[in-house]
Amino acid sequence: MNQNELRQEFGRKAEAVSAVVTPVADLAQAFAQAARLTALQGGKCLAAPGWEGADLAALKAACEQEGLELITQGLRERTGEFHTGLTRARWGVAETGTIVVESSSEELRLATMLSEVHVAVLPAANLRADLFSLEQELDRTLADAPGYLAFISGPSRTGDIELVLTLGAHGPRQLHIMLLEEGS
Amino acid sequence: MSRASGREYHQRLKGALDNTFLGQTLARFQGNYRGSRQAGFAGMDFEALAAEVGAAKDAALGHLEELYQQFKAKAEAAGATVHLAHDAAHAREIIAKIAAQTGSRRIIKSKSMTSEEIHLNRHLEAQGLKVTETDLGEWIIQLRGEGPSHMVAPAIHLSRSEVAELFTQVTGEKQDPEDIASLVEVARQRLRRAMLEADMGISGANFALASTGSIATVTNEGNARLVTTLPRVHVALVGLEKLVPDLNTALKILRLLPRSATGQLISTYVTWVTGAVECAANRGKKELHIVFLDNGRLALSQDPVFSQALRCLRCGSCANVCPIFGKVGGHNYGHVYIGAIGLILTYFYHGPEAAQELLGNCLNCQACKVNCPANIDLPGLIKKTAGLLLAEQGRPIKNQLLRRVLTNRPLFHFLLRRAYLAQKPLARGGRLIRHLPLFFAPDQEFRSLPVVAAEPLRDRWRRLAPKVPKPRLRVALFGGCLIDFVYPEQAEAFLGLIKGKGIQVDYARDQSCCGLPAAMASEEETAREVARQNLAAMEAEWYDYVLTLCASCASHLKKYPELLAGDPVWAGRAEHMAAKVIDLASFLQKEAGLEPAAAQGKAAAYHAPCHLCRGLGVHDASKELLREAGYDYRPYDDEEVCCGFGGSYSLDFPELSAAILERKLRQVAATGADTLVTDCPGCVLQLEGGLDHLGSPIRVRHLAQALAEAKDK
Ligand code: SF4
Ligand code: SF4
Repeated sequence: MNQNELRQEFGRKAEAVSAVVTPVADLAQAFAQAARLTALQGGKCLAAPGWEGADLAALKAACEQEGLELITQGLRERTGEFHTGLTRARWGVAETGTIVVESSSEELRLATMLSEVHVAVLPAANLRADLFSLEQELDRTLADAPGYLAFISGPSRTGDIELVLTLGAHGPRQLHIMLLEEGS
Repeated sequence: MSRASGREYHQRLKGALDNTFLGQTLARFQGNYRGSRQAGFAGMDFEALAAEVGAAKDAALGHLEELYQQFKAKAEAAGATVHLAHDAAHAREIIAKIAAQTGSRRIIKSKSMTSEEIHLNRHLEAQGLKVTETDLGEWIIQLRGEGPSHMVAPAIHLSRSEVAELFTQVTGEKQDPEDIASLVEVARQRLRRAMLEADMGISGANFALASTGSIATVTNEGNARLVTTLPRVHVALVGLEKLVPDLNTALKILRLLPRSATGQLISTYVTWVTGAVECAANRGKKELHIVFLDNGRLALSQDPVFSQALRCLRCGSCANVCPIFGKVGGHNYGHVYIGAIGLILTYFYHGPEAAQELLGNCLNCQACKVNCPANIDLPGLIKKTAGLLLAEQGRPIKNQLLRRVLTNRPLFHFLLRRAYLAQKPLARGGRLIRHLPLFFAPDQEFRSLPVVAAEPLRDRWRRLAPKVPKPRLRVALFGGCLIDFVYPEQAEAFLGLIKGKGIQVDYARDQSCCGLPAAMASEEETAREVARQNLAAMEAEWYDYVLTLCASCASHLKKYPELLAGDPVWAGRAEHMAAKVIDLASFLQKEAGLEPAAAQGKAAAYHAPCHLCRGLGVHDASKELLREAGYDYRPYDDEEVCCGFGGSYSLDFPELSAAILERKLRQVAATGADTLVTDCPGCVLQLEGGLDHLGSPIRVRHLAQALAEAKDK
């Protein structure tokens, strides 16, 4: 698959599992989108651990623009207060519409688990056809212990009551993937 | 099966069959599953991938102890503590001790069949600990004080109204059964609180990677992520068979597991934990304990026959496709582990007592086997496990008789002839017996039974044998009991179809029952003895084909090599004959062809015999022939679902046999067909008997008859 096909396939498969894929030109645009959709949904606070330096400054600006509080740590104490968790994703898998999120940081995990909406920024250059094409990278990541690695395909779901598919069982109710065109 | 427990089990089955909601839910569940699974595997070579996973699992199972040591070294280097529990009690003790040492009082759990296996909750609660299941289905059944009724969808037996009622009690607020989203919301809110307060999280694992010491969980709800993240202590309870050498093996399994479980290409969350990860609630580092459970697994992994059972990925598919599960649900079709694999594992993990009622309850329809992503011969193992029971508990009279009669062909055939005389007054001159005296076979009223023929095929043969001076093909006909003694006319129809085509057909007089009934009764030695007799009688070396009109016989004759493997005298001959065995439809397509179409657009539905479509992998030949012969072929959803016959199954479990048959006949009737065609005399018996009992005008024809009639017109 060439880059274009990968992108299309990824988009199709991610949407098939109820993720929303939005292409963005740069990080600033991704931040603006994340802040915007948080505000539109009535969220007051955005949790974004793991961003630093200029990126963090840009994110701060985006949040201010929408009147949102930005938090980057102490998430456990703020459970229920942050609406959105904003993280990076390392890789994307076209076959299944999966994002791979290196989640060893506890704060980052909390941001992806306790939020109502998870927004992940995925560099388009890091799309792969399937999990087997990522085997070596994944192997290296797992060997770097201790660690916590997550494959995420769409928002949390359950079919436990009469098999009726319902989103948002325990994790985020929505998953937004910002597909970043520039090199990461 | 002891009398009392057997009666109780049948009572429970009847109760389940009377539960209309359960029946509807299970039917919908199985119907949806079929479609989703098909979509999930679209474009993939399932058989090859399942064989690959089976082989990869076998390779791992051969080295469990090594893998365990390797895993332990890696995981402990990363800050975990790894335990090995010898049995259920030991595992419970280890976990209770961890709770005590860490001062944990509130425990949250994500779904783990292994913890169900050792009845962990009960034990922890007895120690005064508060245990909360966080998987929605598990939480529901925990609140109801029940066990899971399915390995993937534990509360599948409950309706939305029952859940709403339960949640109304739990919250003290009226819940609307039609608003499933808000029912899920109740769980989300309640369980979020429990998770934030918990001291300890207990999870299971789908894989344990020896190469890195990582454990992985595969879930949709995301509760396992919270369970492994929020509390300060994490205990993972893992069956030893979940050990795999490396990521590659895990990815191969992961490619099949979700597709097989629900038809999803992948589950929402696949989470890998390696060692003691960051945890602010525990001074920066999580306390991680990984408890491996042996409970018989190591011994089982060394068994040449039964180690296969440990390949199981717990996808639940063998329940999803099982016609019996579809009628009675998991509480009656398993103990803790459910479905075909449950019948087997119950014996090994929970003992013969728990398993004995279940092990006879299998139609041998093969649906589970061909759908298993780990390539496990489930019906074969079920019969072998039942054989272990027989060896332990002694053979019931039924089995002793079977052994005596089947291995003595003249005696067997004498008894069949006598049956003709015995039944004559009951048939009142007809071809079907409508009412059996109850003492003869109880609960058989759901279908009429056929009459044993006045003149069996073997007696007619001198008259019938085609005279072909210079044959271009030589065919040995294997009759089987039903064709020979009940439906010789089906063989006559076959002879009509190949008339004038230069095909010589012989009928060896010393052939007997194929031996499938013995194999079904777990009488392997008897099955072997009968196989040897047939091999000697058929003299397959002299023929191009061994043809049988009975799909069950065909697939069983093909099993002879497996049955006689290692036998210095017979193994070779068995291979030789098995290679020549062919079913009617494939034979006609390959060697004989049909006369130009003559049937008059008569509407025909088809029933695919289990042993033809799954046993021999012949799916389309018969339908193609019907169309070619001019029939207006009418498909329906359950065409390849078992008719409920299963040989003596229908005598042992008449209530289920009837229920499974009824579902099929309803679908057939809805096609508007006036003829129902199949290619196995056993299925003819069941279908014809059921239709006659209902007073339906639909006629049942063996494929040979249907084609012959088309030709005659
Ligand atoms: S035995 Fe096979 S089909 Fe049944 S649960 Fe295990 S892996 Fe799935
Ligand atoms: S062979 Fe058929 S009846 Fe027996 S367990 Fe498998 S699916 Fe169920």
